[in-house]
Amino acid sequence: MSIAEAPTQVIILPDVPVQPEPRPAPVRRSRTDLYVVGGLTAVVLFFMAWNITGFPTATDDEGTYLAQAWAVQNGQGLAHYTYWYDHPPLAWIQLAGLAWLPALLFPDLIAVAAGRIAMLPVVGASLVLVYVISRRLDLSRWAAALALLTFGLSPLSITMNRQIYLDSFAVAWMLAALALALSPRKHLWHYAAAGAATAVSVLSKETMLLTAPAVLVAMWQNAAKTSTRPWAFGGYTSGLVLVGVFYPLYALLRGELFPGEGHVSLIGAWQFQLMSRSGSGTVFDEGSGSNSLITSWLYYDTVILVAGLVATVIALAVRRLRAPAIAATILAVVALRPGGYLPAMYVVQILPFFAIVIAGVTDQGVRLLEPQRSWWRWAVLGVAAVTALTLVVPRWYDGNRRALTTDDNAQYVAAASYLRDELPDPQRATIVVDDVLWIDCVDAGFQREKVIWFYKLDLDTAVAKTLPDGWRDVDYIVSTPALRQDPGSLPTVTKLLTNSTPIATFGPQDGRIEIRRIDKEKP
Amino acid sequence: MIVVSLVLAGFAAVTLWWTMHAWRTPETLASTRFAAPDGEHRLTFSLLVPARHEQAVLEHTVQRLLESTHEGFEIIVIVGHDDPETAEVAHRVAATAPGRILVVTDTNEQKNKPRALNTALPYCRGDVVGVFDAEDQVHPQLLEHVDHAFRSTDADVVQGGVQLINFHSSWYSLHNCLEYFFWFRSRLHLHARKGFIPLGGNTVFVRTDVLRAANGWDGTCLAEDCDLGVRLSSRGAKVVVAYDSAIVTKEETPGTLTSLLKQRTRWNQGFLQVYRKGEWRRLPEFGQRMLARYTLTQPFLQAFSGIVIPIGIAIAIWAQLPVFVALITFVPVIPMAANLVFQTVGLRDFGLQYGLRTRWHHYARLILGAFPYALVLAVAALRAVWREYTGKRNWELTAHTGAHLTDQPVKAESGVAA
Repeated sequence: MSIAEAPTQVIILPDVPVQPEPRPAPVRRSRTDLYVVGGLTAVVLFFMAWNITGFPTATDDEGTYLAQAWAVQNGQGLAHYTYWYDHPPLAWIQLAGLAWLPALLFPDLIAVAAGRIAMLPVVGASLVLVYVISRRLDLSRWAAALALLTFGLSPLSITMNRQIYLDSFAVAWMLAALALALSPRKHLWHYAAAGAATAVSVLSKETMLLTAPAVLVAMWQNAAKTSTRPWAFGGYTSGLVLVGVFYPLYALLRGELFPGEGHVSLIGAWQFQLMSRSGSGTVFDEGSGSNSLITSWLYYDTVILVAGLVATVIALAVRRLRAPAIAATILAVVALRPGGYLPAMYVVQILPFFAIVIAGVTDQGVRLLEPQRSWWRWAVLGVAAVTALTLVVPRWYDGNRRALTTDDNAQYVAAASYLRDELPDPQRATIVVDDVLWIDCVDAGFQREKVIWFYKLDLDTAVAKTLPDGWRDVDYIVSTPALRQDPGSLPTVTKLLTNSTPIATFGPQDGRIEIRRIDKEKP
Repeated sequence: MIVVSLVLAGFAAVTLWWTMHAWRTPETLASTRFAAPDGEHRLTFSLLVPARHEQAVLEHTVQRLLESTHEGFEIIVIVGHDDPETAEVAHRVAATAPGRILVVTDTNEQKNKPRALNTALPYCRGDVVGVFDAEDQVHPQLLEHVDHAFRSTDADVVQGGVQLINFHSSWYSLHNCLEYFFWFRSRLHLHARKGFIPLGGNTVFVRTDVLRAANGWDGTCLAEDCDLGVRLSSRGAKVVVAYDSAIVTKEETPGTLTSLLKQRTRWNQGFLQVYRKGEWRRLPEFGQRMLARYTLTQPFLQAFSGIVIPIGIAIAIWAQLPVFVALITFVPVIPMAANLVFQTVGLRDFGLQYGLRTRWHHYARLILGAFPYALVLAVAALRAVWREYTGKRNWELTAHTGAHLTDQPVKAESGVAA
């Protein structure tokens, strides 16, 4: 067959103009948001930072986390005592990365006070993320600003966020996960990063896992009606599992995953925390630990807690507010469940979600009111706003004035400077302290092994072994409110307190700090 | 140890990033499809079908091509002078559609696909040359879409999707199918966008004048398709890739593990040849050259990491390394495991798009077979290197059984081509 025989039909038509490919919708870029969020965050951080060293009182928990960060910084492992998987370590690893700078800049501050300065960037990140999430939930700019200010300026929030808590790290990461899950470009790698951020959050504070369903809901809504939804969840799962698995992997590589004789273990710690830990009672039971804790939160700020609870119930019914509402609901239900254990810093986790739903419900209300339609609608809005402000402003003014002016840590500062300057021969002495002063003692020249966290005297056999003669091997004990909290529960501590005499005393009666010399000759 | 782990993790992460290109955002996914054709037929096609000992499947393939809805095309079947069985089938089919089908006899002593294609190139009369393999199952509406794609994008080359379908045949065919799925569905689009593309072996369409100006295919290269893509991209040709599950060209996986190994060895060796030829060095941008270098050596990197990572982990566990170092050796596993998660999602997507049932044991095969499959690929890569350096450059042909010719209904992914 030859080519000439083949008839090929050719139809000649004019060229079609080149069709442009469909372009993605332009990402909303507005500098206004940048200025608003930058300005407001700076204002809130100013209030946060002012008198951060003086209020609130330094707590033993803060000292513990900071001492663990100190151990990481100094290459001594994950804790200043045997790490027993009580919490995942990522938060104080991050703290170690931040805390060296203020310690260097402010050498005169006590360790916990300097450590608090390291929390400011963490809280700053959370503030920005609250704004970003609000905007991505389609809140108006003023409402997003309201969320940021509610989260930032509530006296409860200022009090809690100033302190060195693992929860603040976990909150920042979970907010980042939520913001990424709401990615306007619906980008696969944003979803994967959301998964990774969720894992980092949970590895910063395990209880933050409770809020992960909110991220899933946000992603589900954001990826709705797109062709890439299954991939989005694949990405999220990859990020979450593949980062999260490194914690059990760490335990496995150290041979500490499963419980066994003579070593701590991850699963053993979980068993203890989930089953053996005694509850702190029911919230509604007066005199229970949970009840007094919630009363103390309400003392700092009733507004954000009550308004937050109410707004959460409403927000569950609004589609765009459902994700933060779910986080707030789970956290609230878990806090109010009967008989569970409620940690003192638990409220840190719920505050940003309360702030977002409060602002979101306000935004929704204003949208339904449609004030631009007539003057009286504006009037209603004005009256509501003025009422809200008259209710909130005086309370917050009082609460924050206290936060900005009170100095509750003067006795700790005085005790630390006494330990540093007055106590003779620190190199050879053995001293028992609470965790707030632990780093300050090490900095004052005591040997790291001879500064003993009072808790460990009776509970850590390895520590007991370093004192062959029992309490008589101790030279000093620093008695603080934290150390005296549960009298009688720690026999060696009680013995030290009875067999010692104060050589220096600081502060008022209820917050008294005594440095006591042990009377070794006593029978 | 730490450095090696981090470098391997970097490679794996980049590969994962590129593999997932099409699914990054809903917009990118939408842009990887063929645009809806306007129903006009303005280009003419010369469709080349080289056939060698493929008398069993050739007739079916040509009949399918004849069903094409496009008006202007000719089919050129290329058979070898030493292959009377296939030639007989070719001439018989040609007689059923005189004028549409031309049979060209390749008289080269050493037979291979690029030489066969070059033999037919002077006979092509169409504006566009398309290449199909003798076992391909081509959709009747494909040419209309390609016609429109050429006109609407002003492209020099259009690469259509090719998909292995018989994922149920064996454990490795499942992985092989998914490899194709991710390559044509996603990765090739990235290459087209970056201006460096190793073309596929079939369902590839090139403007005849561009092809002639490039002197056709390289008769000595084992991966003539990749080579052509590299040469055309280096000369600045515009390449468009479009994938639509409804009009994809269907193929079958190699029938045995050995033939898969041979096929993969050939491709890898071909990639190595293209790399050594160095045409890619003429790419204008640094990024393109890096992409070329990376893509052409990827089979070997993949083989290397497939072996080194498990060894590293074994050392980490048994040699009592410091925990921190041991943790680092696990970092490269993150992108690899993520890849497996995405393959799981991909298998589901694949099943939905092609109307095939994916059962739990398919997922089990996917997970359990991942490491053995990586081993097969590693062996193929090592074999390719060995053959190239010992000078064995002959063509190991893959036999075809026709496992994909079961005419299952295909569910359209987009409404475009229903």
